[in-house]
Amino acid sequence: MAKPIYQEFTKGLWKEIPPFRLVLGLCPVLGVTTSVENGIGMGLATTFVLLCSNILVSLLRKVIPSKVRIACFIIIIATFVIVVEQVMKAFVYDLYNTLGVFIPLIVVNCVVLGRAEAFASKNGIFRSILDGLGIGIGFTLSLGALGLVREFLGKGTITVWGEPFFEGPIVNLVESMPSFVPFEFMVQAPGAFVALGLMLAVMNLIPSK
Amino acid sequence: MEYFEIIIAGIFVNNILLAQFLGNCPFLGTSKKMETAVGMSMAVVFVLVMAGVITWIIFHKILDPNKLVYLRTITFILVIASLVQFVEMFLKKSIPALYAGLGIFLPLITTNCAVMGACVINIDKELTFLQALVASFAYAVGFGLALILFAGVRERVLLARVPKPLQDTSIALVIAGVISLSFYAFQGMVQAVI
Amino acid sequence: MGEMIKMVVVLSILSVISGGGLGYLEKKLKPIQEKQIMEKVKGPAVKDLLKDASNDPVADRFKIQDGDEELTIFVGAIDGKPKILVLESNASGYGGKLELLVGIDTEEEKLSGIRVTTHTETAGLGSNAKDDPSFAAQFEGKSLEKSVAVVPDNGEISAIGGATITSRAVCKAANQAIKKYKELKPKLLEELKKVSQ
Repeated sequence: MAKPIYQEFTKGLWKEIPPFRLVLGLCPVLGVTTSVENGIGMGLATTFVLLCSNILVSLLRKVIPSKVRIACFIIIIATFVIVVEQVMKAFVYDLYNTLGVFIPLIVVNCVVLGRAEAFASKNGIFRSILDGLGIGIGFTLSLGALGLVREFLGKGTITVWGEPFFEGPIVNLVESMPSFVPFEFMVQAPGAFVALGLMLAVMNLIPSK
Repeated sequence: MEYFEIIIAGIFVNNILLAQFLGNCPFLGTSKKMETAVGMSMAVVFVLVMAGVITWIIFHKILDPNKLVYLRTITFILVIASLVQFVEMFLKKSIPALYAGLGIFLPLITTNCAVMGACVINIDKELTFLQALVASFAYAVGFGLALILFAGVRERVLLARVPKPLQDTSIALVIAGVISLSFYAFQGMVQAVI
Repeated sequence: MGEMIKMVVVLSILSVISGGGLGYLEKKLKPIQEKQIMEKVKGPAVKDLLKDASNDPVADRFKIQDGDEELTIFVGAIDGKPKILVLESNASGYGGKLELLVGIDTEEEKLSGIRVTTHTETAGLGSNAKDDPSFAAQFEGKSLEKSVAVVPDNGEISAIGGATITSRAVCKAANQAIKKYKELKPKLLEELKKVSQ
């Protein structure tokens, strides 16, 4: 543990940014990134679960018997996932509907369980909070970035929270440039794989240090 | 006819891996060799059908009548986790030959979103018991088909010269995209409930 | 053995805390969630059904107890006079549960219209119950005296092509709503008066 403590936070933003450096939790990455707002919404929901489960797992790490630790982690994570589900259903119903099955699936997101097992169960609470926040924000940024690329190419728009904050998309190429034809492939299923694969390649071009 | 439509939809049109993006971790993780891909596919077929049926019964007979719908996520994940444990113990004792083949894949299935996802979809689409059974089977077969096809291509890619930044996961995702594109041709073939 | 007990204790305590906490949260959030669903899912259908209403039917809804069940009823006012009640009803169609909103004109004792809200019918056939307005339009103005039925069942509603089962289900759900209305009429009219004030 010679690492300076701030690195627990910053590593999630670049060095170990999921899903690019840490190839985990791909399902929501591919499934919901058809627009920027869906990506960010999913990222924030995951961050919340990750942070809370990291805190609790770290607090209880001495109490939880090692043989049933995975079962305990799953209960803790599932509880927070339901909290997110219920809160989203009550306050952001439209987003809740769009993300659909991917919200309950945060429970099987390997990033969350992976951090509980690999980090929070071995480290103190403060480090675990920083780790959870860092990885969570990194995940949110990745989802947002992939959503940006896919939405911009596939629909020609950039939507950041339609209703509560801005009215409609903040960029709309289809309206402002009639000759632009959206590359619809990008927002469809196959485009998700190709877009993520190519973004991964771009990340590989940049050295991780 | 209705069940036939569900099978076609589950395997091809709404393929759980390539159209719904569920279960991508094992998709990338176990597809480097044909052997592991086949093992994983078999294990998924086995567990997914059982999980689909059991979670359906639990949801409609226990959670729904008692107004405990909000506990769905936690119940399902615990059911799947214990089911996997149970299957593992059962196979080890009763069918060691099968265990030797599937054993190492079983623990991975707990965190396979395809299993959990299919169970949740069965509930969300308000399928009847038989529909849920058929749909779970179709999803699992679709998962296996996509995984095995993908592994076949990936084995070949090992022999090809891939540009450095694209190596490994990156090229795998692009290949997955191309396979997904070929499945895309099935779009609109049947109008099933799933 | 000691470890075994610890495992069981830790797991049960965790489960109890989690279950209890979630139960509490669910209780707190339920009304807000219902309001959201009301506005986003049922709201548009109710407003579509009560196009001519001069009030906000979603805001002017009330709840009524029917045995163990709690019914939500929307009120539509025509020219400022509340007279249309919208009841929810459901029946099994071809693919599964089919939910219906049934508008009843309390003054003229007739159906003011119906709308299918959710269904799992075959797209292109049974789904026309929701998508094809001309099917729903047939129910407008039907008297409450006679139950509605499709033509093959000696009724007046012509079934959707290729989807007789769905059409029958819609009729069944509509009849159920009419039956409920007749049963609860005194209570309903009382509530309606309250809205007018």
